[in-house]
Amino acid sequence: MKLGLVIDLDVCVGCHACAVACKQWNTSGTLGALTDYAPYGRNPSGVWFNRIRHYEVGDFPHNKTVNMPLSCMHCEDAECVNVCPTGASYKRKEDGIVLIDQDKCMGCNYCAWACPYGARELDRAEGTMKKCTLCIDRIYDQYLPPEERQPACVLTCPAHARHFGDFDNPLSKVSQLVRERGGTTLMPELGYQPTNHYLPPRPTRPIDTSAEKQTSLMHKVKEWVNKLITT
Amino acid sequence: MSSVTYHKLAGQSVRFYALLLLLASMLGGGLFSAWQMEHHGHIITGMNNHIVWGMPHIFAIFLILAASGVLNVASVSVIFGKEIYKPLSRLSGLLAISLLIGGLSILVLDLGRPDRLIVAMTHYNFTSIFTWNILLYNGFIAIVLVYLWFMMERRMQPYYPLAGKIAFVWRLVLTTGTGSIFGFLIAREPYGTALLAPLFIALSLVFGKAVFLLILMSSCYGGQRELNQRVIIRLKNLLAMFSVTALYLVVVYFLTFAYFEEQRGVVRFFLFEGGVYTALFWLGQIGLGVLLPLFLLYHPRLGQQLRVITLASVCIVVGGLIQLYVLIIGGQAFPLDTFSGMQVLSSSFGDGQVHAYSPSLWELSLGAGGVALALLIALLAMRIFDILPACVSEEQIPTF
Repeated sequence: MKLGLVIDLDVCVGCHACAVACKQWNTSGTLGALTDYAPYGRNPSGVWFNRIRHYEVGDFPHNKTVNMPLSCMHCEDAECVNVCPTGASYKRKEDGIVLIDQDKCMGCNYCAWACPYGARELDRAEGTMKKCTLCIDRIYDQYLPPEERQPACVLTCPAHARHFGDFDNPLSKVSQLVRERGGTTLMPELGYQPTNHYLPPRPTRPIDTSAEKQTSLMHKVKEWVNKLITT
Repeated sequence: MSSVTYHKLAGQSVRFYALLLLLASMLGGGLFSAWQMEHHGHIITGMNNHIVWGMPHIFAIFLILAASGVLNVASVSVIFGKEIYKPLSRLSGLLAISLLIGGLSILVLDLGRPDRLIVAMTHYNFTSIFTWNILLYNGFIAIVLVYLWFMMERRMQPYYPLAGKIAFVWRLVLTTGTGSIFGFLIAREPYGTALLAPLFIALSLVFGKAVFLLILMSSCYGGQRELNQRVIIRLKNLLAMFSVTALYLVVVYFLTFAYFEEQRGVVRFFLFEGGVYTALFWLGQIGLGVLLPLFLLYHPRLGQQLRVITLASVCIVVGGLIQLYVLIIGGQAFPLDTFSGMQVLSSSFGDGQVHAYSPSLWELSLGAGGVALALLIALLAMRIFDILPACVSEEQIPTF
């Protein structure tokens, strides 16, 4: 199995619901609290497994805002696993999920250097590295109904921009989406072979900004009224 | 040939005890900072999700590089047959160990969980260059200890050159390993080049030589021992040559990045547009750390004066710390280019912007504590063991 996420950039509205759901689930999950730093202070911050970026692509009038949720890519050749000196970071053979053994992590931060996505964050209160677990404590939870055995971010996404599944299965929804929509990985040139895929935004229809003279009757009436009022 | 006489530091003077007290206070401050960081977490430091290695690492890496480089004095005598340096070999070996212990102590105490050092010593992932470095550092201390023992034990004299050769090779590999910690990172643009390994070797020679000169001169001055100026002149000539070599490799480093179109941002950042990092590069790394010392060392009149050589060595040490700050902190501050061609509108992760970092007092204190530990070990060892020659002169070539 090769479990991972597909994120539809065409649909994602950047509402941050996935990040909040992730925080909520993992704070109350088996991994322990995701620390908040000064939660009631002026600049509250904390550990997040999932962060949303907002980008502008192209130049006006052909521009478009792209919302990009980014979490651990669960790479096939995960450099964070390769560089971990104690072997605390590891990739599960059975499903490809990259995890951190919290009892072996000594907080050296070297994996944070190696991850090009910035997906690893040191819990500066606990002193160990934290990252997305793909909600491993709920996707295998037999007490949950099968339809709920998905990561919290996928379940909560109001726009259904996030999909979870097995990339090894060509008939899975994630494989189909990647195949049909031309899903791509982030920074493939590095050779880490990320499991998570992004579906590119569909081409935008350019906004017509040509100074075309409007000659309808209604327009002429409006112009006449405007002229009447202003003079 | 005359035999060399080694003596302990007398250690009776007020200056000795004042220095001891100062170093102990700095060490205490460093330990207190480490405790604070352990108690409150790294949140009290200036480090964040982008600048994950901060000021303590600058001190630590400086000390580790200097530890490797300082052994060069002993290596020159045993590998290249320069007998003139043989009386200084014991000091060279001692400093190699003490500086490395100081540097490693900082690294360990700056870990998120320093109490898990035992995990690092018992669980090895051999695909990690970090693991190899742990083995290299521990091996270096063991090998130099044996080397030092062979130097000081008359019965072991026949094996002394062999130990010296092993130590020489080991320290080259060690510094290659330290450089490769950064050189093997392809995720961050300013790194991921094999050139960092030879650059770190050159830097180790520069830092080590400067530190050695400072400690040699201050211990001879403090211990009221004769110090032949010609020996210092030879050492400062080596220092100047190493400094030029390191500068050359820095130039090659930037030329390499400038050659590839997609990597020119690194050159622009460090040399022109990097704000504080650009200023530190030109004024601190190049001006203070290279050009001023080279001027002082190569000046026909000034370059012969011990005070000026001391000043040049201090400039190289400070400039070296700045150089590591620019390379390591600046390299992390350089924004990750995750989405080429996209303009960042907003990001809760600070994408696309130069990341901010201001070192906290705790970090500086921890770094200074590590330096103090290294010097304290060296000072006490010189007080307990026969490390320093009774006098350092060019004529005094040892026989055993």
